[in-house]
Amino acid sequence: MSESVIEVSGLVKDYGRFRALHEVQLSVRRGEVFGFIGPNGAGKSTTIKCLLDLLRPTAGVIEVLGTRALAQHPEVRSRIGYLPGELSLAEQQTARMHLEYLAQLRGGAGKDGIERLAARFQLALDRPFRELSRGNRQKVGVVQAFMHQPELLILDEPTSGLDPLLQREFLSLVLEAQRAGATVFISSHILSEVEAIASRVAIIREGRLVTVEDVEALRVKAGQVVTLTFDAPPPLDGFRALAELESLRLEGATLSAVLKGSPDRLLKEAARFRVTHWRAKDRNLEELFMDHYRQPTGATP
Amino acid sequence: MSAQRLVIFRGALRTRRTGLLIWALSLAGVCGLYTALYPSMEKVDLEGMLKALPPAMVEALGYDDMSSAAGYVGSAIYGLVGFMLLLVFAIITGGGVLAGEEDRGTLELELTCPVSRRDVYLQRLAALWAQVAVLVVSVLVVTLGLSLSLSLGIEVGVLVRATVQLLLLVGFFASLAYAAGAATGRPGVARGLAAALAVTSYMFNALGPTVGQRWMVSVSPVGWYMADNPLTSAWRPLDTGLLAASSVVVVVIGWLRFSRRDLMA
Ligand SMILES: Nc1ncnc2c1ncn2[C@@H]1O[C@H](COP(=O)(O)OP(=O)(O)O)[C@@H](O)[C@H]1O
Ligand SMILES: [Mg+2]
Repeated sequence: MSESVIEVSGLVKDYGRFRALHEVQLSVRRGEVFGFIGPNGAGKSTTIKCLLDLLRPTAGVIEVLGTRALAQHPEVRSRIGYLPGELSLAEQQTARMHLEYLAQLRGGAGKDGIERLAARFQLALDRPFRELSRGNRQKVGVVQAFMHQPELLILDEPTSGLDPLLQREFLSLVLEAQRAGATVFISSHILSEVEAIASRVAIIREGRLVTVEDVEALRVKAGQVVTLTFDAPPPLDGFRALAELESLRLEGATLSAVLKGSPDRLLKEAARFRVTHWRAKDRNLEELFMDHYRQPTGATP
Repeated sequence: MSAQRLVIFRGALRTRRTGLLIWALSLAGVCGLYTALYPSMEKVDLEGMLKALPPAMVEALGYDDMSSAAGYVGSAIYGLVGFMLLLVFAIITGGGVLAGEEDRGTLELELTCPVSRRDVYLQRLAALWAQVAVLVVSVLVVTLGLSLSLSLGIEVGVLVRATVQLLLLVGFFASLAYAAGAATGRPGVARGLAAALAVTSYMFNALGPTVGQRWMVSVSPVGWYMADNPLTSAWRPLDTGLLAASSVVVVVIGWLRFSRRDLMA
């Protein structure tokens, strides 16, 4: 079943005379974790605020959870959990006051989730915001987005401000939500932050969608850096014949190459000689995407 | 669902209850002090003192009718101190309750909950009026209480009527700041606009008669509210109606923009 939960086509958004989004196209399927990646200022938050009907598109069609008119159907928002990119909360209020208020606005949904999630993230519920660190504030945002177990999570750079330990806890929370059937739309300016959980990613740059790809396919595309050390320099002809090897190099008795595809033929060729050491490392997807970012989009003169 | 239970209305009031309490107490204190001073002022030759000032200035200040308690309370509290303090509160709060929260970003989560923009707009507006009403009533309670206990002889009906008009006037400037904020998302602009209009309309009412231009009073919301003195002037239903209608007009205009524009941009 590949019913889509978010369907965006031809989305244009102007801020005055500045065009922040140029005909953005997106389709997020039910049940997937979808990464929305782009450098700062690319238009991620603008897209997300359009999805939530905070911003009104200049042109284009947006369908979220089956409705094209969120303004006329605010009740649909009870099925969405949203974590803003920049979370502000009243300084004198405590997290508990605010979370209970949001639960009331959602007709009571999620009230039971507050304690459980707060305990999980070690969030002090009864201290006023002005006393909370950036990380603790972000935890409040996380709790309010997840507490009512929404069908669709829209998370705008959620891991910023969380320390590495909490980032891991957060990612496992996302995966649990997904296992429970939720669809997750998660933005980040760092691909590696969402690489581990996303099944597909869209790359946005200067308000234009550059590409939408399968993370698995991307991994294959990115390839692995393979290093093999032999007891003596091997002849290269056999290795050169393998199409899946790129950037083949021999330094002393150490051969290195980028492998794109199955390792089978490489291993069989290497086994003809005496291998003393071997290493294979997934190439960072970031490196691959640097290529995308470098390509001109035609937006700049 | 939240519309029926007025969650936003109650939430907006709850976050401001401490501030509101302080305002109510201070306002009641100041107005109480002024009222309580009247019996001792009677003994002073106030009329004589005022005669020493240029008549135009006395009239412009609204201090022209000190011979009765109603005249004094009307000009000193309902026409000056209480009225001014209430306007300050109304304009600050009117700009803050929606636009201020949007500007600080604290409105974002509420706006993405299952509530409509209309709920947000109307319930926050209601919370604003409720706060203004609390303060206006605190002025009434103090003046009425002291008038009765000190036997100042101000007619209860007149005092209540003037209080309702005061609520309509202060509520109008509160609504103006609110609507301007809702339309623009900019609390500073909204408050500046409302304050400028309040000062202008006060000046029009105060100076119009002095410079022989009655029309300046006729177009001024402050003139609709009090003319010379809210307690001793005859009641003018048309002016009261104009005050109420003005609030409706600005609220509708604010909504037309708020319902269409980008929020949290
Ligand atoms: N309210 C606004 N007014 C004018 N320009 C804006 C506004 N918000 C964002 N922008 C511009 O739109 C572009 C996209 O911003 P944004 O969506 O916040 O990017 P991201 O979330 O990917 O960092 C940026 O160039 C930014 O400067
Ligand atoms: Mg952003």
